[in-house]
Amino acid sequence: MEYERCYIYTPPETDERAPKRRRINKANSQAQLQERIQIYRETWFHQQERIQATLEEADRVTLEKIINFVSASAQTDYAEPVSIPTGLVIAGPSIASHGPFFERLGRKIKDETNSAYFLLNSGDSSNLKTFLKNLIKKAMSRVDADDEDDLGRIGSSSRNGPKLLDFDLGHLQEWHARSRADRIVVAIQDSEAFDANLLVEIIELFYSWLDRLPFVLLFGIATSAESFEDRLTGKAPRYLQGQKFNVTQSDEIIEKLFSATIASTDVSLRIGPNLSRRILERQKDHVQNVQDFSDSLKYAYMSHFYANYPSLFLKQDITFKDLPPDVFEATRNLPSFRRRVEDMLDSGRAQEVRKLLDSDQYLFENIVEHVQSGQEVLSALSTAGMVIVRVRQALQMSAQVPLSSIWIRAASGEMMGSPLLRETMLSIKKAPSDRLAQLLSSLEDLEGIDFPVDLKAYRKDLDELNKDNTTSTPLRSQHDVRNDNLRTTVVAQKVLLSKHKAALSERDKAYSELVGHFHDELDTYFTTAFIDPRALFLSEILMYDLKSPHTEVFQPKPRFAIERALASPHDYLGCDCCGDADGGRDADAALSATQPATAIIYRLYLESGSLINVSDLWSAFNALAGEEEDAESKTMALFQRAIAELKYLGLLKPSKKKIDHAAKVMWKGL
Amino acid sequence: MLPDEILTQLDKQYPCREFQIQQLASLYFSNLPSPPLLIAHGLTATGKTSIIKSLLALSTIPHTIINLQECITGRHLLERTVSSVLDALDEYNDERIDRRPYSRTENLSVLANHLQKILEGHKKFVLVFDGIDKQREAPYTFLPGLARFSELIPALSLILITTLPISLELRKPGTPHLPFPPYSRSSLLTILSQNPPKIFLTQPSEEQYPDYTPDLAAEDDAWLWGRFLGAVYDSLSKHTGRDLVSFRNTSLRLWRDFVAPVVDGTFGTRDFSRLMVNRRHIFQGEEAVLDRIISSQNAENESAQTHSTAIIKKKRDVGMQHDLPYYSKYLLISAYLASYNPSRTDSTYFMKHTDRRKNKRKVNTNAGATKSKHRRIARHLLTPSPFPLDRVLAIFRGLIDGPVPQLADIYTQIATLTSMRLLVRVGGVGGDALEAGARWRVNFGWEWVRGLGRGVGIEVGEYLVGGVDV
Ligand SMILES: Nc1ncnc2c1ncn2[C@@H]1O[C@H](COP(=O)(O)OP(=O)(O)O)[C@@H](O)[C@H]1O
Ligand SMILES: [Mg+2]
Repeated sequence: MEYERCYIYTPPETDERAPKRRRINKANSQAQLQERIQIYRETWFHQQERIQATLEEADRVTLEKIINFVSASAQTDYAEPVSIPTGLVIAGPSIASHGPFFERLGRKIKDETNSAYFLLNSGDSSNLKTFLKNLIKKAMSRVDADDEDDLGRIGSSSRNGPKLLDFDLGHLQEWHARSRADRIVVAIQDSEAFDANLLVEIIELFYSWLDRLPFVLLFGIATSAESFEDRLTGKAPRYLQGQKFNVTQSDEIIEKLFSATIASTDVSLRIGPNLSRRILERQKDHVQNVQDFSDSLKYAYMSHFYANYPSLFLKQDITFKDLPPDVFEATRNLPSFRRRVEDMLDSGRAQEVRKLLDSDQYLFENIVEHVQSGQEVLSALSTAGMVIVRVRQALQMSAQVPLSSIWIRAASGEMMGSPLLRETMLSIKKAPSDRLAQLLSSLEDLEGIDFPVDLKAYRKDLDELNKDNTTSTPLRSQHDVRNDNLRTTVVAQKVLLSKHKAALSERDKAYSELVGHFHDELDTYFTTAFIDPRALFLSEILMYDLKSPHTEVFQPKPRFAIERALASPHDYLGCDCCGDADGGRDADAALSATQPATAIIYRLYLESGSLINVSDLWSAFNALAGEEEDAESKTMALFQRAIAELKYLGLLKPSKKKIDHAAKVMWKGL
Repeated sequence: MLPDEILTQLDKQYPCREFQIQQLASLYFSNLPSPPLLIAHGLTATGKTSIIKSLLALSTIPHTIINLQECITGRHLLERTVSSVLDALDEYNDERIDRRPYSRTENLSVLANHLQKILEGHKKFVLVFDGIDKQREAPYTFLPGLARFSELIPALSLILITTLPISLELRKPGTPHLPFPPYSRSSLLTILSQNPPKIFLTQPSEEQYPDYTPDLAAEDDAWLWGRFLGAVYDSLSKHTGRDLVSFRNTSLRLWRDFVAPVVDGTFGTRDFSRLMVNRRHIFQGEEAVLDRIISSQNAENESAQTHSTAIIKKKRDVGMQHDLPYYSKYLLISAYLASYNPSRTDSTYFMKHTDRRKNKRKVNTNAGATKSKHRRIARHLLTPSPFPLDRVLAIFRGLIDGPVPQLADIYTQIATLTSMRLLVRVGGVGGDALEAGARWRVNFGWEWVRGLGRGVGIEVGEYLVGGVDV
């Protein structure tokens, strides 16, 4: 075939079956997929709306400040402009969310002030010329959206005479004369990625045009305003005058998003504690990125509905007729169903169990009922989480615990008996009356939520007690430490410390009773609310908590995958010849000639230092993999291909230090 | 306006430039032919642009001024020149010249051609090129070419404004120069004392001080401002920014702070010497001579609202205002150590199985011993040296207790830190940003990384070879 430049490779056909084959399941895994996708869409739609609303709310204050700044900067007379009004927008290190932020900002600026807004980033601005071209293009396309071929040639007059070059700010001037915008806001999204000299050039140029064009500059900054200023050289800082705006920190936004989505009280599908913890930890440790958070949520929702047949039951107003019998079979296989059956058998309800197993209709009714009640239990759990947060806030407890961590603990069933809960309950007991009043009103604000404690009654009683309180000091409960006196007595040369309750006034006693009652009632409430949700019947339908596809999709390990494949190829090849001889335990250590050449070289590579003598490597390889004397050229070919492959993978590169050596570039396990 | 009236007005507007104004007027206002080429040169803020601009605007000579800083390329300059000259003539004669022949100006000789045609039949046209030394991509024939324009176009008078005299580049001897020397102390004071700012932003109430009339206030303003300018010049501007604009900015920045005791009534308006003693600290700091985007007044307003920041405001943090992800902090610390430690010491410092403390002390004492022989500069004061990526990752794993999975997220963070310019790739730009062979450098300083380390409970100095004495 050597004379052909290229050819079609047809592998020799063999009758042998592939060594490993997937089991083909006859059951249709795609059953009712369309319906499930539909339920997914509806459920996710609500979540997405919440996410959007939360994001907008989080940015609102900053956006308003920036808009006020922009509208205040209108230059009424162009006589002698002193400096360009400049906003430094400290947007934080979560670079991926800068784009959406600046887009929202732009929309708002255009809506609420009479300004033009142009967003530019480093990608389309490698030098001053392209920067200006892009700026002008953005301005022109705004007006001449309909006649595109006119782009760059302005007005009929210039068609015959000299025309402006396409990076001449004169275009912007003509455009501005027509559009009559009060100011031209130019936002530079990623100021760090801009070359410092380019920034200076832009600033100087804009300043020079400031008597004709009312520029306002906005710089997106990931680090800090100071480091931005330090990069500007020469007179550039003199030409800018402005303010700094802090965008909400992304961990705060993530916390808000968590409360609005995962820990919210009315969602039909919940993300379980393990997955939630994973998502949050990733945000804290690796990326701070709102988009990523909502993506992982979305992916979890998709995984649940796409891959879980019984998720059909989350459909609203579901009827028995719509359902194929398979779905009941699937439900009967759920672990929580089995648990339930066993429990029922233990309590001697064999008759019902029989019915559950035999009658689809009966099972259906049962499922509908339990899905409904399970939802209620879960939303009660979320409410209880919120109550704890409110209590801790109102009592001004020192350790700030965010809702996310409380919710995760509650959802993994760890809340009952936890130190956190005990501490919270204790401080309720100790709360003086003013704090209690705050607590009551803060709980009353929890609107539209099923909360069994009758707050109004307590409020009334408290008011009653307070009515004849003439002093300004609040009422104290008997557990309040301030009511304890320490008394020191010396008895037989030993100091005795003894606590004595200070005498409580009548009203304080009455108050203590009130608080005690409140405490007990809350305690019962928490005990009923904080159940372990994973023990719920049908929890597999109500809650998605699988780690597996999430980690593979959002946290892949590319380097590890390559290293592992090279180090133990037999795991992937599934052949009998390599490694597995002695039970596979020590397979990692065995180095045999049957392995692919690249894997062999890789093993030798791992054993060598940072400079590898290629000739030594060859002798080692030849000793291992070489067959007979005369086959050396074949072995050499294998060797060279293996080296080339390692080089291609970026593990090896030629060294400048020694001509016959290669440099090791990557170490295993990093 | 008559030439004499123009002169008096200009002299009033721009004091201490009588000579230059006189010269310009005599060169351009008379009926005699104007010089074909004039170089006006002087350092920044010596009034070149403003005086020439005002003078021409008040005269009846057709003219146009091209700011070379606004010309992005050489071609841009040529095109702009032609259209500005056309615009100026259109306006001057109130008619439209047919522009069709001038649609392209590719090079200097085409420009000469165009100008020749456009100015045919005109008596005089002044063309000003401002900021010759700011020209981007100037072709080297540009200046000598311009100098010879007058031979082709008799009506054209060129004025070139530059910061330095450029007769050599012109290759044309005998060109007249008009110097704009930097202002002396007394000139600066004269110019700036023309518009004194107010002491009292709101006039003191009439009932309380019935005799303090606005006239009286203006007199006080001028008196105190004049003295104050002298003090600012002698203490700050003499040593830092001596030009008019820097001096003016510095003075204005200090003014409100300076007169604060007068406004609140501690001192009278004429208690200059006591004011000086009371406010001497403002002449000692560097804040006033630095150009900052966020003025200190703004910053104060802001910190008044959130007083928690007021305490930490003093200490400028050059690093981050937002919190970085946990592992990003470790990556940055590792990168710093990789930049400042020699790689051969890595195994002593970061190998998991060696006892860190013991080895560290040994290295430290070694460093101390050599220090006494010949003085060494502390490592963290030197420039960072480049390192390969795997070294950072290795140090990273050495610093962190417990295993960190080899997630792609780690690489994402490195890429993010690179686009934030906290890490910088050395050498070859382009290609794969995370290519294993690439070398990197850190782009932040010791102070910041120390703070970063303390945030995650690492004393970075302990890991730095040679230690740091703080
Ligand atoms: N003699 C003067 N009197 C008043 N103002 C002046 C004088 N000289 C310069 N200025 C002011 O200083 C500033 C800078 O002047 P400019 O003409 O731009 O200087 P240059 O072109 O030499 O850099 C302008 O605001 C100008 O009004
Ligand atoms: Mg100038």
